[in-house]
Amino acid sequence: MTPTYYLVLSGVLFTIGTIGVLVRRNAIVVFMCIELMLNAVNLTLVTFSRINGGLDGQIMAFFVMVVAAAEVVVGLAIITSIFRTRRSASVDDSNLLKY
Amino acid sequence: MTTPASLPDIDYAGVAPVLIILGAACIGVLLEAFVPRSQRWAVQVVLSLLAIVVAAIALGAYLYTGPQNTSTFAGSIALDRPALFLWGTLLALGLGSILLIADRVVEPGGAFVAQAGIRPGTMLDKEQANRSSMQTEVFPLALFSLAGMMIFCSANDLLSMFVALEVLSLPLYLMCGLARRRRLLSQEAAVKYFLLGAFASAFFLYGVALLYGYANSVKLADIANAAGGTNRSDALLFLGMGLLLIGLLFKGSVGPFHTWTPDVYQGAPTPMTAFMGACTKVAAFGAILRVLMVAFGSTHWEWQTIMWVVAGISMLLGAILGITQTDVKRMIAYSSVAHAGFLLVGVLALDGSGIRATLFYLISYGFTTIAAFGVVSLVRDGTGESTSLSSWAGLGKRSPLLAGIFTFLLLALAGIPLTSGFVSKFVVFAAGMSAGITPLVVLGLIASTIAAFFYLRVIVLMYFSEPAADGPTVTLPGMYTTAAITLGTLVTLLLGVYPSFMLDWAGTGGFVV
Amino acid sequence: MTVSVYEEIAFWILGPLSLAGALGMLFSRSAVHSALWLVLTMLSLGVLYMVQDAPFLGIVQIIVYTGAIMMLFLFVLMLAGRESSDSVVEVLRGQRIWASLLGIGLAGLVVAGVARSLGDVTPAGLDNPAANGSGGPGNVANIGQSLFTRYLFPFELTSALLITAAIGAMVLAYTRKQAKGGKNRQREMVNMRFRENTRPGALPGPGVFATADSVATPALLPDGSIAKESLSRIIETTPVTQIEEDEALADRHPDAHALTGAARDGDDGASIVASPASEERSE
Repeated sequence: MTPTYYLVLSGVLFTIGTIGVLVRRNAIVVFMCIELMLNAVNLTLVTFSRINGGLDGQIMAFFVMVVAAAEVVVGLAIITSIFRTRRSASVDDSNLLKY
Repeated sequence: MTTPASLPDIDYAGVAPVLIILGAACIGVLLEAFVPRSQRWAVQVVLSLLAIVVAAIALGAYLYTGPQNTSTFAGSIALDRPALFLWGTLLALGLGSILLIADRVVEPGGAFVAQAGIRPGTMLDKEQANRSSMQTEVFPLALFSLAGMMIFCSANDLLSMFVALEVLSLPLYLMCGLARRRRLLSQEAAVKYFLLGAFASAFFLYGVALLYGYANSVKLADIANAAGGTNRSDALLFLGMGLLLIGLLFKGSVGPFHTWTPDVYQGAPTPMTAFMGACTKVAAFGAILRVLMVAFGSTHWEWQTIMWVVAGISMLLGAILGITQTDVKRMIAYSSVAHAGFLLVGVLALDGSGIRATLFYLISYGFTTIAAFGVVSLVRDGTGESTSLSSWAGLGKRSPLLAGIFTFLLLALAGIPLTSGFVSKFVVFAAGMSAGITPLVVLGLIASTIAAFFYLRVIVLMYFSEPAADGPTVTLPGMYTTAAITLGTLVTLLLGVYPSFMLDWAGTGGFVV
Repeated sequence: MTVSVYEEIAFWILGPLSLAGALGMLFSRSAVHSALWLVLTMLSLGVLYMVQDAPFLGIVQIIVYTGAIMMLFLFVLMLAGRESSDSVVEVLRGQRIWASLLGIGLAGLVVAGVARSLGDVTPAGLDNPAANGSGGPGNVANIGQSLFTRYLFPFELTSALLITAAIGAMVLAYTRKQAKGGKNRQREMVNMRFRENTRPGALPGPGVFATADSVATPALLPDGSIAKESLSRIIETTPVTQIEEDEALADRHPDAHALTGAARDGDDGASIVASPASEERSE
C-alpha cells in the first residue's frame, strides 16, 4: 500500500459529493454534499503534503476549514430565511425564476 | 529549538488601496453598532464613497512613485501593471455601484429591504415595504466584496486567490437576497447563487489541491516552472487546471457554466445586479488572465483548443438564448454571457496585446453595464421595477431622454461605432487575429451579429410601438442614480470617441512572475 | 515505498467507514440521517489525518467539522425539520442517470490520473527537519510559523470572511420585533382587545356536550346546535368542506337561548386565533 490509496479514496469521496449535489433535492442535503467535497479536498491536500514533504498542504487544508466554517454560516442563514417563507427546503420548490 | 519568525516584507504603499477599502468596511461594521438608526444611511454613504476616493488617490500616488512590477506579502500579492489597472477599474466601477446602492429616491427607502429577518408576505412585511429605511449593512458588505475582488485579480498564489474568491462571494450571496420588492424571487436567487457558487468553489479547490500535488507549491510561478521539468505525469497538471478553470469560468459566467447568471441577475436587487455584472466580471477575468498566462502559459499548446471551444460556446449560447428572453434583466444577463465569450478571445491571445485588449474591454463593458442597470431601475409600475420587455413598448414616446440613453447603451453593448463597445470588440478581435485564432474571431463576429438583433429589437420596441395604457412610468431619478447613469454613459461615449489614452494605460506592462 | 503495517490496518478500517458514510449520506431519504452519516465520514477522515502526520488538522477536523459545522447543520435541520425527507420523484427526467454517469466519469478520470502519475511515488514524509521548517519539532509550531510568515496575507484576509459571516447571519435572522414599535406585547394586546369590545373573553371550547376533547370538535350550545365561534380553522387537517358543513349546520339552528350570539352578522369569531394559519395558507 502506498499513499496513493488515500488520493483514490478522496477522489471517490469527491465524486460521491458531486453526484449528491446533482441528484439530491433538499437544499440542506445539497449543501452537506458540498461539505463532503471540501472534506475530500482536504484529504488530498494532507496526503500531498506528506508525499511532497512540506507543510504547505496542511496549511491549505486549515484554510479550507476556516473558509468552510464561514461559508456554512452564510449558507445556512440564507437557506433558513427561504425556508421560513416557503416551509420547504426543496430546491424544486424554488421555481419562480425560470426561462 | 525554535528560531524567531520574521515577518515578510510588506509594501504598505502598494497594498494601501486594498487596506483602505477593508479598513473602511470594518469601520462601517462598527458604525452599525454605534450610530443611531436614523443617521446610519448618511454616515455609511459618506464613508463608502470617501473610502473609494481615498483608495483611488493612494493607487494614483503609488502608480507615480512606486516601483514597477513587484510583489509583496511574500509573493502573495502581485503589484504589476495589469493588477493596478484592474484595481483602478474596480474602484471606479465600485464607485458607480455604491451610488446606485445609495439611491433612496427611485424606490422610497432604497432598493434594499428594511429588515431582512421579517418573513415575506406577512403583515409586518407589507408595513416595512413602505418604510423609508434600509438594511445599511449593505455598504460594509459591498466594500468587503470590492476588496475581495481587488485581491482576487492580483493574487499571485492559488491559496490567496481562493480566500479572496470567498471574500468576494459571501457578501454577494447575502446581498442578492435583500431586495425590497419581490422578496421571494430575491431569496430564491440568493439560494441558487449560493449553492452553485459553493459547488464551483469546491471544484476550484480540488484543482488547487491537484496542482499542489503536481508542483509542490501553489505559487503561480512555481506551477509554471514545474510544468517545465518534473517527473510527475502531466495528468495531474491538466486535471488540476481543468477543475480550477471550472471555478473561475463560473465566476465570470462563461459558456456552459453560466446557468446561475440569468436567474441571479433577475432576482437580485438591481443595484446589486449592476455591481455583480460589472465588478465580478472584472475580477474573474483578471484572475483568468493571470492564471492562464503566468501559470499555464508555457503549456498552452496542450489546452488552448479546449478553451477556444469554451469561448465559442459562450458566445453562441449567450447570443442565441438572449433572443428568446422577455425580461430586460435576463436579456442583459445573456448578453453578459456572450460578452464573456468575446473577452475570452482577448485572453486566449495570450500576449501583450491580448492583455491590453481584455483590460480595455473590461473597463468599457463595466461602465456600460452599470449605466444600463441604472436605467432599468427607473422604469417602474405599482409593484416595483417593470422589467418585462412588453411593458417597455413605446418608452421613446413617454420619456425620450431615458429611451435615448438606453438606446445608446444598447448600441454600445452591440458594438456599434462611436461607442466604447465597438472599440473594445475591435481591439479584442484584432488581438485574436494577430495571435492566429481566426476561426474564433469569425465565430465572434457571427455571434455579435446575432446578439445585435436582440438589442435592436428592444430599440424598435421602444420607438416604433404604441405605449400600453397601463404601462410603467419613468421615475425621476435622485442625485445618486443620475450621477451613476451619467458617469456610465459619459465613459461609454468617451472611450468610444477617444479610446487611445485608455488603451495606452491598459498596455503599459505584463504580469510579474 | 510501503507504509507501516499499523497505518495499513488503520486505512483499511477507516477508509471503508468513510466511504460507507458518504454513500449513506447519498442514499438516505431523511436529511437528519444524511447528516449523521456525514459525521461518520468526517470522524474517520479526522483519524486518517492523524495517521498521516497531521495531528493538528485531525483535531481541528473533529472539533470544527464534526463539533461545530455538523452540529449547526443538525440544528437547522431540527428547525426546518418538518419535511426534511427527499421526494423520490425525478423532476428532470433521467437526471439521476446522467448525474451518475457524469460522476462515474469524473471518478474514473481523477482516479486514473492520480494513479498513473503517482503509482510508484516515494513519499518524502514529514519527519525530516527540512520539511518541517525552522520552527523546530512539532506540527503545531511549524504550522503557526508558516501562517504568520509565508501565508500572512491569506491568514489576515480570513478575518474579513468571519466578519462577513457574522454580519450576514445577523442581517438575515435579527428583527426589531421586540423593540418599540415592533410586534405588540401582551399588555398592548389586552388593551386592544378590550378597546375593540367585540369579545374580551375566551372563545368557546369543546363544551360539556361534546363527544371529544379535541379542539377539532366544535362546541355545542345548550340546544345542541354548534357554536360557530368554536369552529377552529387552525387545524390544518380539518378539511375545508367539513368547516363549511359545520357552519351551515350552525346557521340552520338559530337559537334565542344560546349562550352566545351564534351568528353575529358575518363576524368570524375564530379569526383572532386563526390568523397565523390563514396567513400561511395564503402564501
